[in-house]
Amino acid sequence: MRLSVFAMLACVAATPALAAEADLQKQFHETVQPFAAKYCAGCHSGKTPAAQFDIKSYDSLDKVKAEFPRWALVSERLHAKEMPPKPMKAPPQEEMDKIMSFVEAVRAEEIKRAAGDPGIVLARRLSNAEYGYTIRDLTGQDLKVARQFPVDPANPAGFDNTGESLTMSPPLLTKYLQAARTIADHLVLKPDGFDFASHLVQVDSDRDRYTVGRIMDFYRAQPTDYARYFEAAWRYRHRAALGNPNATLATTAAAMKISAKYLPMVWGILNEKGAVGPVATLQKMWLSMPAPSAKTLAARLAPQVQAKAVQMRDFTVRIRKHTAMQFESLKIEGLPGQTQPLQNWRLKTYAANHRKSDPAALRADNAPPAALPEIPKYPGLHQDATPRWNTIMAHARATNSDLVYPAGQREQYQKAFDRFASVFPDTFMVTERGRYWPDESEDKGRFLSAGYHNSGGYYRDDTALMQLILDEKGQRELNRLWDEFDYIADHTQRTYTQWFFNNSGVVDGKGAESGSPRPTGHEITETVVINQMRDKYVAKALADKKNDPGAADAMRQEFKRIDDTLRHVERERKASEPRHLAALVNFAERAYRRPLTASEKNSLLAYYKTVRTKNRLSHNDAIRDSVVSVLMSPDFLYRFDLSATASAAQSGLTKAATNAPAQPFIAEKLSSYSLASRLSYFLWSSMPDAELLRHAATGDLSNPKVLTAQVRRMLKDPKVKGLATEFTGNWLVFRQFETNNSVDRERFPTFNDDLREAMFQEPIRLVQDTIVNDRSALDLLYGKHTFVNPPLAKHYGMPDVPGDVNNWVRINNADKYGRGGILPMAVFMTQNSPGLRTSPVKRGNWVVQKVLGIRVPPPPPAVPELPNDETKTDRPIREMLAQHRSVPMCAACHSKFDSFGLVFEGFGPVGDARTKDGAGRPVDVSATFPGEVEAVGVPGLQQFIRDHRQDRFVDNLSRKLLAYGLGRSLQLSDESLVDRLNLHMANNGYRFGALVEAIVLSPQFLNRRAPEPAPLQKADLQPAVKFVKTAQKGN
Amino acid sequence: MTQPTDTPSFKSRAFSRRAVLRGTGCAMALPWLESVSAMAQAPTPADFPKRFGVVFMGCGVNENHWSAEGQGAAMKLSKSLESLEPLKQKINVIDGLQVKSLMGQGIHPAQTGSLLSGVQISKGALIHSGVSVDQMIAGHVGQDTAQSSIVLSCEQPMTGYHETNFSLAYSSHLSWQTADSPVPVEVYPSLAWDSLFDNRGTLLNISVLDRVNDRAKDLSRKISATDRGKLDEFMTSVREIERRVEVMRKGANEASEKAGLKNASLATMDRPTNGLPEDLREHSKLMCDIITIAFQTNKSRVASLLISRDLSAMYYPFINVKDGHHSASHYNNNDEYERITNFHVSQYAYLISKLDGMKEGEGTVLDNSCIMFLSNMWVGRTHDNSRLPLVLAGGLGGTLETGRTLNYLSETEDKRKMCSLYLSMMDRFGIKQDQFGDSNTRLERI
Repeated sequence: MRLSVFAMLACVAATPALAAEADLQKQFHETVQPFAAKYCAGCHSGKTPAAQFDIKSYDSLDKVKAEFPRWALVSERLHAKEMPPKPMKAPPQEEMDKIMSFVEAVRAEEIKRAAGDPGIVLARRLSNAEYGYTIRDLTGQDLKVARQFPVDPANPAGFDNTGESLTMSPPLLTKYLQAARTIADHLVLKPDGFDFASHLVQVDSDRDRYTVGRIMDFYRAQPTDYARYFEAAWRYRHRAALGNPNATLATTAAAMKISAKYLPMVWGILNEKGAVGPVATLQKMWLSMPAPSAKTLAARLAPQVQAKAVQMRDFTVRIRKHTAMQFESLKIEGLPGQTQPLQNWRLKTYAANHRKSDPAALRADNAPPAALPEIPKYPGLHQDATPRWNTIMAHARATNSDLVYPAGQREQYQKAFDRFASVFPDTFMVTERGRYWPDESEDKGRFLSAGYHNSGGYYRDDTALMQLILDEKGQRELNRLWDEFDYIADHTQRTYTQWFFNNSGVVDGKGAESGSPRPTGHEITETVVINQMRDKYVAKALADKKNDPGAADAMRQEFKRIDDTLRHVERERKASEPRHLAALVNFAERAYRRPLTASEKNSLLAYYKTVRTKNRLSHNDAIRDSVVSVLMSPDFLYRFDLSATASAAQSGLTKAATNAPAQPFIAEKLSSYSLASRLSYFLWSSMPDAELLRHAATGDLSNPKVLTAQVRRMLKDPKVKGLATEFTGNWLVFRQFETNNSVDRERFPTFNDDLREAMFQEPIRLVQDTIVNDRSALDLLYGKHTFVNPPLAKHYGMPDVPGDVNNWVRINNADKYGRGGILPMAVFMTQNSPGLRTSPVKRGNWVVQKVLGIRVPPPPPAVPELPNDETKTDRPIREMLAQHRSVPMCAACHSKFDSFGLVFEGFGPVGDARTKDGAGRPVDVSATFPGEVEAVGVPGLQQFIRDHRQDRFVDNLSRKLLAYGLGRSLQLSDESLVDRLNLHMANNGYRFGALVEAIVLSPQFLNRRAPEPAPLQKADLQPAVKFVKTAQKGN
Repeated sequence: MTQPTDTPSFKSRAFSRRAVLRGTGCAMALPWLESVSAMAQAPTPADFPKRFGVVFMGCGVNENHWSAEGQGAAMKLSKSLESLEPLKQKINVIDGLQVKSLMGQGIHPAQTGSLLSGVQISKGALIHSGVSVDQMIAGHVGQDTAQSSIVLSCEQPMTGYHETNFSLAYSSHLSWQTADSPVPVEVYPSLAWDSLFDNRGTLLNISVLDRVNDRAKDLSRKISATDRGKLDEFMTSVREIERRVEVMRKGANEASEKAGLKNASLATMDRPTNGLPEDLREHSKLMCDIITIAFQTNKSRVASLLISRDLSAMYYPFINVKDGHHSASHYNNNDEYERITNFHVSQYAYLISKLDGMKEGEGTVLDNSCIMFLSNMWVGRTHDNSRLPLVLAGGLGGTLETGRTLNYLSETEDKRKMCSLYLSMMDRFGIKQDQFGDSNTRLERI
């Protein structure tokens, strides 16, 4: 069906019709102009023409065509006998008929002559909204830099995404420069390219935040909760009864989102024979889990099973906590235990022993209770914290009866504890360390810290995670993150340097808080300096016979590790520079939304080289500066519609060559990259993603099948929120409501920033839901549902919605609360209230003009103002308006929209439901619509629209979405397309997606108007290099 | 890729382009030009720009040798302050002020993280402080200069955590540009010099704009005449900004000449050599020179300098101190620590006397500045920060009376706030705040 529409839309009829043109010219001068002078110009001309319509200014047929909608309105109002207005004498009917038929003839002729004209779509810079979304997708971070930009103006169609209204100015370009620098300040160089952080990346603590954050995120995402494994084992055991007879441990693990590598180990220990001690206790708990049967459905068992699994986990964790191995630092006379090589030796030993059970933890059942020493205070600086921790552990072990074995069975029990520990580590990874670690009662939040005193330093201990949980891919990923930690944040170097300056003096016999002076003649990070320091420490370790024998070796290993790491990072940095340049080119291609030509690529790299050498920037800063230059480039900031055939000169067609003055345009197929951008800015307000660019590269994007498939995919993407926000926001004129400050918050204390934001989001949520689920666009009018978050639910008097402001829920029976669809939404009620009272005029006018697209002339200059505070009026607004309408001049317009606003009187100035107005008078929500249709409230309005105005709504939506998608105001030649869109909607259940598809497949969308012929020196629009998408974040 | 030997390598992160470019965008704002021409016509004292500087010493002073009594010529300065003797008419020695939010929650970083903002700082992984007073001023007056502020340190920052669970970033930075981001410190004198006098920020912007212009020209050959109209609009904007940047660069040079007396030669300074000076005396002297020349030539009006940071690992073999700075501070009432204190004050004295030697109108650059000397503690061995060692030098264009000793020790807490002093300072720079840090009142007698 939809493909046939494409075919239908694609046939462009453009036959020369000179004769008709001449006839129209004649009619205009001989009939229309005299009529206008006689009957209209009295009001509609001069300095202040009525309704700002100066009929005398139309002195040629071309001018009529250019502003045809106004002439359509002339015809419409003559037809309705609204003009000339009542006390004036009406012109003879036959004269009026001539005017109406002239207007119709102009329309028909223009449609025939120019149907399918792509129109002039100007080059346009990204709107602020598009800039923001594009940066989000380009960098992978929502940096919100466009918030500082001045507000964009809208074009006559009401949209701020067109070259008609978007201009450039030095202040704006200055803002762009600041924004580009800010974005570049978020850049992080990585071994294989670069990335952007959500925060500034300027100082060491920023780099730590980025790298530590990534590792912590990885850790937090790992399935390390034993309870999940116990539950999975139960599911596997009862797989047949649970309806999965073919389940394996692997499929069970996958279904539970846990490690397929680890589950078999857990399964193994739960099922082994002859168990004693903790293994036996655990097995007993496992066997006591209820079994599913036909009678007891698995779903009903789930809570019981999960509770049991949690018990098993708590048991396991407690046993392992109390049987964890304990280690002290190596002892070296004259060095504190916190000396970094010694501390690291201890951390390394811990890391190697998480799967062992401390033999000292067990006690026989006939052993006399051990005397427990008092827990000492926290030790002072440079004193060993281990005695305190040992005492704490001794106390804890004494209370745990699971650590008791029957006298005489020590060996058998120790074996069971060892086995238990080999499957259940005391920890999978250590994420926080303070100075008293493993005592974690203090020092929270020092993620990955090594726990040194007065200096930074990180230590990796995730051996159990690596061994038990992670598969090869996960291991590689985690190793990569730790490698990049050094590459990006240089933590080994910084730790060594800080220690050198702050703590290493002790080896020379100075105080424990003193360091060594800056070396002369060498950088502190050079191998020779590291080795000098190593030799001092090794000598210290060997100086006293009482020292631990392994200490010297521990020293050597530690210094070797430091030197190796520093050298590795140095090499890696050097080696990665070309990769950063490749990433820069890739970044530019994504930013420009097309491949670079060879010369463009060279000039970008030349720029990097210039700032690196001439401006003496570091590699890092030169890359950042090159990124700035990309973001400042017109290729990024502007969208140009290029044609598939490169240029007008190449197309071989010019207006002159066709020698047919009546043919007003030449349509050229858009280039595939221009089409991709047009599509993505239409549906996402943002750059094309990788898939779209791939289709552009292969050139099959203009294939209707491919195009339709892409549209459908894109409409399902969350990025379609861009369309919901920008299109709806501009169409229904609430885009700036987020910063609306016109509500008097003292009089309306419930109106706060949260509620304002919720009001703003509500129509966007509804529209996005309509788009994503391809519902009928009529739901926007008649739907009984809406979306609310906690503050909005409260405002609407709906049942409480739990959670924070980000929790949006769909309310299906919103009509119960007087809501549902867009019409009664608080944002529109509030926006169309002038402060302290409601305004049926503004609300009605909004429905009529914006929602239904019915044109109403602007008000005359001197209309009487209504009082601005409802509480201070002696009559209801409805009565004042009725009086206003009794004046025929006023009634001409007010009768068109007052009734549409009066039905909203049940909503106060901030859209709150009410039964009384501000002065305490009961409100009346009844109205008489045009055609003497009586209706009550919003349901009455909905019924009236359904019966009498639905076509206007559909037509308006078609026009608005078409104008938005094309990025220009509509012109007369679009009329036949609009007719087809309307028909297509009606034939497809008014689905939003059907409308989008028909627009995208229209010749207006797929083509551009060939430029006027101009001498072109060079036209190398066909990319010289093939567009290759390499790894880059952001799609 | 060839790389000249003096190009900072990747690893010398100390040079941050951000430090260079902060505020360059704003630097293009037009109002500056108006102020330049105003100045060019009638250089009266009120027209000279006001400057603000902070010199910091970590870990407190030797309290036995830190005092001042009397006013004006009769002011008596104790041993540690002796190098200020020639300038005592131009300073205020202030005792008894404190930052309440930095008291009672632990030592060192917890006593330093918001010295210039007075806000409550956060423990643990999330770093959170407040915009510091120097950056507030830089944000206000910095847009008129090549660089909104210069943030220098003779010591590399530390990272990681102190045992109080506060990040060591708090110990390493005085100047904060946002609540969670300190301004990167420049440790290399050569790079600090480059960013000021190489017009690096301006040049980089010019490079970007040149390139952008080339791109636009290239593009305009390929697009339609109507689109070319839109692109012209873009190119006009680019040229307009380039013109402003260029005018500003020239104007800044002229203005700085007019600002100084015609017969007083501008201070000159050669570009420092690459790398870190090995001797702290040389290092801090270079940093002071850079500040003075930046102030005199109006390249910047705000500076902060950490001669030593909190938890400093500095060594002072040249004054015969065996321990590092922080270790020594635990015995702060001995002679060794007095020599450390004395050294810091002498560097401060060097800076302000140099500024005082630079004529500006009828007075000197110092007369139009306020340079603050500050430490984060009073007594290092007890980590007492209930009163902060503080000296202010310069009269801020006649708005700040000098030659006084001011003692707030016996005042009630609400009259002893550093933040009240900051509010008083900001007033003089035209920044009217109702509240800053923990204070909503101005400091009395200032």
